[in-house]
Amino acid sequence: MIEFSHVYKSYNKNYILRDLNFTVNKGEFIFITGPSGAGKTTTLKMLIALEKPTHGAVKFLGTELPDLKQRDIPFLRRKIGFVFQDFKLLPNRTVFQNVALGLEVSGIFGDIIIKNVSEILKAVELYTKKDEFPLSLSGGEQQRVAIARALVQNPQVLLADEPTGNLDEETSLIIIDIIKSFNNKGTTVMLATHDKNLINMGRARVIDITKS
Amino acid sequence: MISQRANYFINYFKIAAVNIKSNISGNVFAFLIMSFSFFIMLFFLLCYINIYNYMNTFQKSNVMLVFLKNNAKKDTVVHFIGTLDGVKSSVYYSDKSSMEFLEKRVKHLRSVLKNMNPDNLPAFIKINFKKNAVSGIFLSNIYLRLKSLKGVKLVYYNKILRNKIVQFMFFTKVVGLILFMFLFILSIFISYSAIKLVILRKQNEIEILRLIGATNNYIRIPMFIEGEIGTVLSFLVSILLLFAIYKIFIFYKFDSFLEFFRIKIIFLNPAQIVLVLLIAVISGIAGTYLSSKKFF
Repeated sequence: MIEFSHVYKSYNKNYILRDLNFTVNKGEFIFITGPSGAGKTTTLKMLIALEKPTHGAVKFLGTELPDLKQRDIPFLRRKIGFVFQDFKLLPNRTVFQNVALGLEVSGIFGDIIIKNVSEILKAVELYTKKDEFPLSLSGGEQQRVAIARALVQNPQVLLADEPTGNLDEETSLIIIDIIKSFNNKGTTVMLATHDKNLINMGRARVIDITKS
Repeated sequence: MISQRANYFINYFKIAAVNIKSNISGNVFAFLIMSFSFFIMLFFLLCYINIYNYMNTFQKSNVMLVFLKNNAKKDTVVHFIGTLDGVKSSVYYSDKSSMEFLEKRVKHLRSVLKNMNPDNLPAFIKINFKKNAVSGIFLSNIYLRLKSLKGVKLVYYNKILRNKIVQFMFFTKVVGLILFMFLFILSIFISYSAIKLVILRKQNEIEILRLIGATNNYIRIPMFIEGEIGTVLSFLVSILLLFAIYKIFIFYKFDSFLEFFRIKIIFLNPAQIVLVLLIAVISGIAGTYLSSKKFF
């Protein structure tokens, strides 16, 4: 489903990724790990065409992502849910509106939005807080909103960049459990983290980008 | 497919409304400046249309007034007029009938005229030429010959001013065009600044929208709608303001003063209003396009 082959990435001739090779199969859960600055975020960003490799090939469902036309990038991103360390929620929209945004950008409106958003909010146990604004929620709750927004489009892949970076251990466990539950339903998950405890909790394949 | 597009469109309007609401002070400021520039545009157009109309009626007039010197005899002049071709009618007004003539024309100034000595008014002959029966050159020739007659003090002839009018009209056209261009660029700049502020303030939001799969159109169309709502509202305010001023002008009968000079004040017709609205809409689109171009 996802293939990185001989991927190099440099910024000002300073290589942060050297000969990165790995594949991810459909329905898999993998951890991308490595120390800070090793290129975990860059690796994930390449999958949503936010970054291009300096050399090498990145493929998603057989499509060479660096060759993707600018106008096709939004459609690629609708197939991939992305969860950020800093949540990236819109503070002037409610929990419900933030999650609904994921569907609205895809051209889905009306009753389908109400149904899908309600379902996903129930799944992340935030339905009762649907009318609250993100800033009134705890970090863990905000991250659950971000996960709900990423998953409401029913993406084939969920990318999570240090999703528990700002959270305590107990909340991190809840987040991982939620992500795992969606993985069990068939969503492929790539989770970037440098937290060894989290990796131990996850019990999944680990790709160390400094070694791959 | 159609309902999908309609949903998109409704959603774009909702986003634009949220954008406007979230930056109400900035939008009101831009809106006021835009209203002011459209008002100047419309006001100038109104003045221009009225001047143009006046000049047109002035040019079409085929009347010549021959003012006689005090105690001068009219016979030579009347005889000369009688020999001319193309004269429709000629009426002699003595100093006394000059007063009657004035009283008839400016009824509202009768109280002022009452204290006036008719002897101070000049005797004159009003000549009406047949329309299209005489050329401008012919009338200019008559004007010069009448002026040279003994006993004639002054000949008043509209068409002598024709060249000056044409020059004046040309001048107003050039000035008007420059002013219009300036105001057009100004309104583009205002839309540009207002939308650029929105973009700068919403850069984080735009980034998030892009990351979750929003197309450039999804982000940009609400901005165009926002720009156009501001432009159209500014235009409506400026046209209503101009209309109110026009009505006050009429209500207090300032126009009756101008009527003395045969100037009839008219308001802009629908076509002219639509033209300025079109200019306003184009300036809104251009301003939004230019401000969002850098970011998309």
